[in-house]
Amino acid sequence: MTEPKLSDILEDSLVRCRNLDAPLADRLQAFANELRRLGPRFAAAVDMLVSRLAECGAGATAPKVGEPMPAFLLPDDRGRLVRLEDLLNEGPVALAFNRGHWCPYCRINIDALARAEEEIAAEHRHVAAIVPDRQKFAVWLKSDAKAPFPVLTDMDNGYAMTLDLAFFVGDELKHMMVSSGWDPSASQGTDNWMLPIPATFIVGTDGIIHARFVDPDYRTRMAIEDLLGALRSAT
Amino acid sequence: MHHIRYFLAVSETLNLTKAAERCNVAQPALTRAIKALENELGGELLRRERALSHLTALGQRMLPMLRECYDTALAAKMVAASIRKGETAPLSVAISHTVPLERFGSMLRELSRALPGLQLTLRRGSANEVAENLRSGTAELVIAGPLDQTWSRLDTVPLFEERLGLVVSTTHKLASRKEVEFKELSFETLLINDGCELVDELRARLEANGIFNTAAHHVGTQEDMLTFLKAGLGVAIMPFGMVGTNGICRIELKQLNLARKVSMYSVAGRQRTIAGATLFNLLRAADWDFDTGTKQ
Repeated sequence: MTEPKLSDILEDSLVRCRNLDAPLADRLQAFANELRRLGPRFAAAVDMLVSRLAECGAGATAPKVGEPMPAFLLPDDRGRLVRLEDLLNEGPVALAFNRGHWCPYCRINIDALARAEEEIAAEHRHVAAIVPDRQKFAVWLKSDAKAPFPVLTDMDNGYAMTLDLAFFVGDELKHMMVSSGWDPSASQGTDNWMLPIPATFIVGTDGIIHARFVDPDYRTRMAIEDLLGALRSAT
Repeated sequence: MHHIRYFLAVSETLNLTKAAERCNVAQPALTRAIKALENELGGELLRRERALSHLTALGQRMLPMLRECYDTALAAKMVAASIRKGETAPLSVAISHTVPLERFGSMLRELSRALPGLQLTLRRGSANEVAENLRSGTAELVIAGPLDQTWSRLDTVPLFEERLGLVVSTTHKLASRKEVEFKELSFETLLINDGCELVDELRARLEANGIFNTAAHHVGTQEDMLTFLKAGLGVAIMPFGMVGTNGICRIELKQLNLARKVSMYSVAGRQRTIAGATLFNLLRAADWDFDTGTKQ
């Protein structure tokens, strides 16, 4: 029998953390704690990556509040081509960059967004997630969280790159991720080992960014209350 | 993205001052960006020796991938810029005779919906012909089975796999069978598509299984093949994915165990059109996991 991978060992913890009745930050933290307990070496490598990214100011040059959100044309989980302006025609939108269906933190994040959907839709606001995963895996991520919003595919992180939101994972963590069962190459359809920095942009119907959350520490995401507040005040 | 752009300028000029000038940025900012990229990639990319500055082994190794990433980002930007009224978006695609266009119907519909100025030119040809279309630039994208090409600039994206088997008319005496052995084919007239990428492979398989002098009809296109099949002129060994069920049935051919990969081909480093870049990513992102006969 092959030894179970870290991702398999953590699956139960992930489901438990995802299903907690608690704020998003607490659910993410609960999973991060579980990972540190069961995979201390991996957690240490992640710490290194995060401090490396923070040091070189990764994500700092991404579009800022008050600036226009750059346009995109991306396929969604149903194979439809979606433009940013199509989404804005329906009202203000929260664009949530996520790393992929394989990432536990993203699964928790998408789940939290799905839970907030009723409140968001009631105010005629929307959510769209953007991942570098191909359609099949975008569909998986969406159904894992029973998310009603579209999950768009950003092939090769092309759009994320234009926003300075993509980074190279680097050899050390790459080897560790593969052996732990977190390998994005198959779902991305490329082995360039680039990932987006998870970020959330609240964009008004005028295409201007009303709020943003960018943190190279991918274990933290925009709080749902902040997202709701910013979406509400956006026009 | 600007990190990569700066590095590409450095790789071309091998001079930080010139690279900074070319990128219209102060040299310290360029140096910082290169440092950041080196941090990400886990090693030095450039050996700084003034006039003798050159890329390190890591820099050399990373250069093609970084160039590709940069092109990808440029393409993402280009594709997002909406087409102005009255502007056209031309795209030329060549598809081998053996690949059914229906598979791509929904993607083409999306492409034409998203790009109102789309002007599509579709060519059909044998494997060699579509490969030549690609090489000469007559086609920007090619969709075909395996191409017998050893061209370093040929970029291959596998899309889906199709298992091959026996296909006969529903009125044929083998039609009710679940599987058939090779030796039973020696009494049949074979239909052979000379334009099929696998025609040589199929001939070899037939001979290896003792089928030499079977009578045969030859056609050049898949449409004609299907017409011949339905008209009962013979039986064919072909990709299962090709076949709608109308008037025709698919039967396992024992010991054949042959599948073909349908891929999208393009030329690495060649500038893409808006429509070409959009379709390229649409096909790459698509879920091809449908019934191609691959699942038993």
